[in-house]
Amino acid sequence: MRKMIVVAMREYAAAVKTKAFILSLVLMPIMMGGSIFVQMIMRDKVDTAAKRIAVVDYSGRLFEPIKAKADARNENDASDKQVKGIFEERDGVRTQVQPRYLFERIEPAEADPNQTLLELSNRVRSKEFFAFVVIPADVLDAKGDRPGTPVQYYSNSPTYDDIQDWLVPPVNESVQSARIQSAQLDPKTLKAVTERVWVGNLGLVSLDAGGQVTKAEATNKIANFFVPMGAMMLMFMVVMVGASPLVQSVLEEKMQRIAEVLLGSVSPFSLMMGKLLGMVGVSLTIATVYLVGAFLALQYAGYASFFPVHIVWWFVLFQALAVLMYGALFIAIGAAVSDLKEAQSMMTPVMLIVVAPMFVWVNVVREPLSTMSTVFSLIPPATPMLMVMRQAIPPGIPLWQPLVGVVGVILATLACVFIAGRIFRVGILMQGKGAKVGEMMRWVFRG
Amino acid sequence: MNVVEIENVTKTFGRFTAVNALSLVVPQGSIYGFIGPNGSGKTTTLRMIMRIYHPDPGPGRIRVLGETHQTAADDRVGYLPEERGLYKKMKVRDILRFYAELKGCRDFKGRVNIWLERMGLSEWADKKVEVLSKGMAQKVQFISAVIAGPQLVILDEPFTGLDPVNADVLREAVLDLRRNGSTVIFSTHDMAVAEKMCDLIFMIYKGNKVLDGTLESIQERYGTDTLRVRIEGNGFDCRTIPGVEKVTDFGKFQELRISQETDTQDVLEELMRHGRVTHFELTTPSLHDIFVRIASPEPKDIHQPVAREPVHA
Repeated sequence: MRKMIVVAMREYAAAVKTKAFILSLVLMPIMMGGSIFVQMIMRDKVDTAAKRIAVVDYSGRLFEPIKAKADARNENDASDKQVKGIFEERDGVRTQVQPRYLFERIEPAEADPNQTLLELSNRVRSKEFFAFVVIPADVLDAKGDRPGTPVQYYSNSPTYDDIQDWLVPPVNESVQSARIQSAQLDPKTLKAVTERVWVGNLGLVSLDAGGQVTKAEATNKIANFFVPMGAMMLMFMVVMVGASPLVQSVLEEKMQRIAEVLLGSVSPFSLMMGKLLGMVGVSLTIATVYLVGAFLALQYAGYASFFPVHIVWWFVLFQALAVLMYGALFIAIGAAVSDLKEAQSMMTPVMLIVVAPMFVWVNVVREPLSTMSTVFSLIPPATPMLMVMRQAIPPGIPLWQPLVGVVGVILATLACVFIAGRIFRVGILMQGKGAKVGEMMRWVFRG
Repeated sequence: MNVVEIENVTKTFGRFTAVNALSLVVPQGSIYGFIGPNGSGKTTTLRMIMRIYHPDPGPGRIRVLGETHQTAADDRVGYLPEERGLYKKMKVRDILRFYAELKGCRDFKGRVNIWLERMGLSEWADKKVEVLSKGMAQKVQFISAVIAGPQLVILDEPFTGLDPVNADVLREAVLDLRRNGSTVIFSTHDMAVAEKMCDLIFMIYKGNKVLDGTLESIQERYGTDTLRVRIEGNGFDCRTIPGVEKVTDFGKFQELRISQETDTQDVLEELMRHGRVTHFELTTPSLHDIFVRIASPEPKDIHQPVAREPVHA
């Protein structure tokens, strides 16, 4: 036992004391958070140069309303819900965050509409205009059906759809008011009749201590989606960081003949368990850092109440078991192969099992209580990730499920450790060619 | 008391017989040298003594320090595998401490310092293994094998890659181990080292034991059939002398192997006719010569069971 701990301590130190470990510990959240941060910065770094748009209005009735809307937009703040302008208050300074749209009426010079299109296209190409819009004479009679799209937006920047999207409301408002007029309806009545109704998203109510029915809480995307997702991602990450280095670690001991020296002092099983315990320690270290980090971040953002305190112990338990379970498999691989290349091909199937929960997690997060989700989360290799995620989604799952899950994972872990022990014992001392799967089976069953 | 007793042990890998019906006894307090060409079974034998390999099932058995158990783990045995055996990324002091603790050694701190000092590695104590030269790494590995004060030390090629100064340091350390009551088994390709250091020498060739005993007893078996001569003059080819079977030219002198019935005086006479003889010595063959005779037999010897009986009974 003492020797097992000596091995575990060395394994832990070897993993944690490296620059790479500390770097990756710091870099992982930076990379995850960084991409969000960069997006936030880049969102503000839009080109605010005014965009000139030519309008050929054959109907003669749409240009004015569009121009009026655009002018209002060009001068107003974004906070103005009615208009949605282009300015924002930033650190007390009124800052332009969107380009101005400058619509200009163009009288078609040519009798042939195609000639007009060609001429305007050339002017867009020569950068005089950013785009141009053609409004047909009968636009106000247009039906809503798509094929004969009445208003056409022409540009040389097909992926920039802001203007096209922006045009839809003013065009429709004009068309609608024209239709209302021709149908002789009262616009006020119509507005009252067509007012939209929203659907709220609430949790369930229950009785409080005083026997009163509690008020249902509005559900929150952070609690319902991001926290469970974060829990699962963290589980995945600590398993990967904790378990997969064992392949290389065992391979080094095998190829450098370190194993021969070690086995002169400890039994193969103690050696393997020592290594596993060391890596459980490593993964717990990572989890602690990130859980504390996540808690502080949520607290800083004022969301501390969303931190799923009630599942932390489950998380730690499942995580330790997952590292043991997968770590044992990775140790077996490291012992059976003779170089990194062989190791890689052997690792692929194990990796597939590790990432398998990733393929179903969206379904599970949407319906955590469905039969399918329950069954998936009780399959031992997937249990640590999916069970913890389901536990993190309000209102949680019945207690028997994580209990059954833990029992299943413990059994699977014991099986993995047993199998790995058999393979490790033989493989670690085998030099030369790596073992084939059939050979490994023989080691496992013959003992 | 014998530290190692091997009785009729065979080890095969697939169809290849690495060690064939081997029996060997290592008495306590001895330095036992294992010699033999590459791939002849030295390391396999050492590993069987370490119980890293287990012999083929059969009547054979191996008893180490009085026990026949199956596991390699034994705190009384220290082992240095060939060339490797160190974590590259660990610091010298840490790795020695680790190996000492693994052997259940509690007072490792003082021991590590003493050994580092002794091996001239104190300055390197906090460097990583990967920055060490081959010779330094070899010394670190040696320390890790002996740090816990084992009763039996098994060293696979401990002198490979060491310069003469470091080889002397290591030799002194090995001799000290014996003085302190340890038994040392080591394999080597350096016949001079084996001749000078070993109480007993064991040679294995193609899995079979071909030599076993003290240097004297081995040389005796081969008789005094060797002439060591130095002759000044015009590169005379000694092979032309009747009765000379083989000539090994060492540059400064030549070793002649003569057939049994040849009179050495005739050889001397013949030599004197061709040049000025400044050295003429009738001697037993060196271990080197015996090794070469066994490992690369001349055509006429090939079909003789070299392995089993001495050339000159």
